[in-house]
Amino acid sequence: MEKRLIKKEALTGIIGKIAADTTVCAPVKVEDNVLFKVLEKGDEPLVTFANSKNAPKNFFFPRSEVMLRYTRTTKGMEFSGGEKEVGEAVLFGVRPCDTRSFVLLDMLFDQEKYKDPYYIDKRQKTTIVSLACAHPPYAACFCTSVDGHPVSSAGADVLLVDLGDQYLAEFVTAKGEKLLKYFGDAKADTAADEKKEAIAAQAEQEIKSHIPAKAIKPILDVNFEHPFWNTIYQKCLACGTCTFLCPTCHCFDINDEMKDGDGRRLRNWDSCMFPMFTKETSGHNPRTSQKERWRQRAMHKFKYYVDNFNAIACVGCGRCVKYCPVNTDIRKIVADISKL
Amino acid sequence: MENPYIPYPVEVIKIVTEVDTKDIKTFRFAFVNKEDEEKYKYIPGQFGELSIFGKGESPIGIASSPTQQGYVEFTVQKAGVVTSALHEMEEGTRMGLRGPLGNSWPIEYLEGKNIVIVGGGFAFTTLRSLINYMISGDNRKRFGKITVVYGARNPGLLIYKDELEAWGQRDDIDLHVTVDKGDSTWKGREGFVPTVCKEVAPSSENAVTVICGPPIMIRFTLPVFFDLGFSKEKIITSLEMRMKCGIGKCGRCNVGSKYVCKDGPVFSLAELDKLTKEY
Ligand SMILES: Cc1cc2nc3c(=O)[nH]c(=O)nc-3n(C[C@H](O)[C@H](O)[C@H](O)COP(=O)(O)OP(=O)(O)OC[C@H]3O[C@@H](n4cnc5c(N)ncnc54)[C@H](O)[C@@H]3O)c2cc1C
Ligand code: SF4
Ligand code: SF4
Ligand code: FES
Repeated sequence: MEKRLIKKEALTGIIGKIAADTTVCAPVKVEDNVLFKVLEKGDEPLVTFANSKNAPKNFFFPRSEVMLRYTRTTKGMEFSGGEKEVGEAVLFGVRPCDTRSFVLLDMLFDQEKYKDPYYIDKRQKTTIVSLACAHPPYAACFCTSVDGHPVSSAGADVLLVDLGDQYLAEFVTAKGEKLLKYFGDAKADTAADEKKEAIAAQAEQEIKSHIPAKAIKPILDVNFEHPFWNTIYQKCLACGTCTFLCPTCHCFDINDEMKDGDGRRLRNWDSCMFPMFTKETSGHNPRTSQKERWRQRAMHKFKYYVDNFNAIACVGCGRCVKYCPVNTDIRKIVADISKL
Repeated sequence: MENPYIPYPVEVIKIVTEVDTKDIKTFRFAFVNKEDEEKYKYIPGQFGELSIFGKGESPIGIASSPTQQGYVEFTVQKAGVVTSALHEMEEGTRMGLRGPLGNSWPIEYLEGKNIVIVGGGFAFTTLRSLINYMISGDNRKRFGKITVVYGARNPGLLIYKDELEAWGQRDDIDLHVTVDKGDSTWKGREGFVPTVCKEVAPSSENAVTVICGPPIMIRFTLPVFFDLGFSKEKIITSLEMRMKCGIGKCGRCNVGSKYVCKDGPVFSLAELDKLTKEY
């Protein structure tokens, strides 16, 4: 693997150079929030930040996305075009938990039988530069409980690790190596590797939140009807914040939109926390209350995804914990399930 | 990359109003591009997404049989946005069709066995596909005795009336059509589906039951088949859940770990026992 060392202050310049050649999406301060967005002239990408409020999944799986277009003809409405082709891009500054979320989303969107061309196209054309958490930013971070690590390169094409005075850049994939030219030619030595290992061990120590996420699958297997589910949902507002911010949630709706003779079919994020999600035209709804919806959310992440893909659909980013308006804490729910 | 979300263009070539209440119609579609018909190779029990640009999509079971070439048929009840728009359509209109989607009736498993088909109301559609498949030409030899019990609330609500008539003439189908309540012109059987199944009492020897209908009919019919000695592996049905993508991506239609759109809609009772009861 190619490795380079770069000066700390050089990083912003490197991003700028890449952005001059290709589309770069990076964390930017927008009012009070750190958000991932496509860098435009004058945007200052952040290199020291905790994590973005929105998950970068938006980049491959936008909140609203045109699937196809159609137009009125004498024969009725006819197809007039598919999705627009996207160009190559670099997604810079993704935290390891969010980077891993792409590995999890790939399992769903890039299956053998049905491939999701919208997601896959953007994913294939995008290079991910991940920024390791030398110091995990939040008390709510729990990546190590769900197979992640603050200095992991899983899903990354390039991994940047802050060694204190400089960054170690690891070019993990061939796609990542295409960015080598921007990073100068100071090759990393074994001292840098050792320093990285020490930082990784330290970062792991700094994760304070630990949950028995991997132990609950067999409990969930047999407790679909457990009275426990009656105790977790009452305060939930069904606002959907948890699912919209979650880097691994992938549910969507498909909607048509017409203006004059032209129209488009869109996919928009949806949420299993919404009452209408499963409601059928007849009025029948298999999930009648927020209880069934919360059970679905927990089951999907910690059992169904494991059944289908042998992976937990949570990367431990802590967003849902931090931003739930009524302080529902998935860590506590998992801990309580482990005691059933 | 093949895009499974883009529908094939199809043209409505025939519309049959099936019932007196006029809210159930069968739509026959021809593919605008012949090569798409080749790609749309389906098996009875699968469904398609009927796609109306500007309105949306609806998952509907395929009502024709793959042995009927040159078209595909769907029988649709007028319900909400998409199905109402469909009911407004005239022959010659173009729209879209995605699929075929989902698993199917387990044809290989059914081969060599006696088949009991039980249908109620307009949920008879993919059963009709299966029947037409089994009785088409040489296919008939691959299956044992075929018994069909089909019921509707009243004679005006029976669908596929011409075909029922034709099947009734054949000596290789044991057909029992029943209505909950007849009218002055009705000369056939009266009685609920579960009762008729009990009277007909098909043997469970080397037999499989394929059942589709309103939940209440299924609830009362299943015990009849258990009493006749059918095990849960040998009773097969089709589930319905709200759907969008139809290909296991949008996360809407799961029952436990299974997506009804992709892993179903067809399940045996034994398989359903292993899933949650959330449907
Ligand atoms: C596997 C399968 C096979 C079906 N086969 C038939 C059939 O042969 N004939 C028939 O008349 N109906 C069938 N249905 C039900 C049919 O899909 C719904 O009645 C239809 O989608 C309602 O759409 P709408 O746009 O008219 O109603 P709206 O209320 O406007 O629906 C909005 C959207 O929600 C979804 N939706 C709503 N209800 C259902 C539902 N019950 N099932 C699935 N998606 C739903 C659809 O995407 C629909 O377009 C089937 C459903 C499934 C899942
Ligand atoms: S963020 Fe909290 S209140 Fe909102 S849907 Fe999720 S659990 Fe419920
Ligand atoms: S469930 Fe919560 S902690 Fe886990 S990945 Fe989603 S938002 Fe992050
Ligand atoms: S309809 Fe989208 S997952 Fe089944």
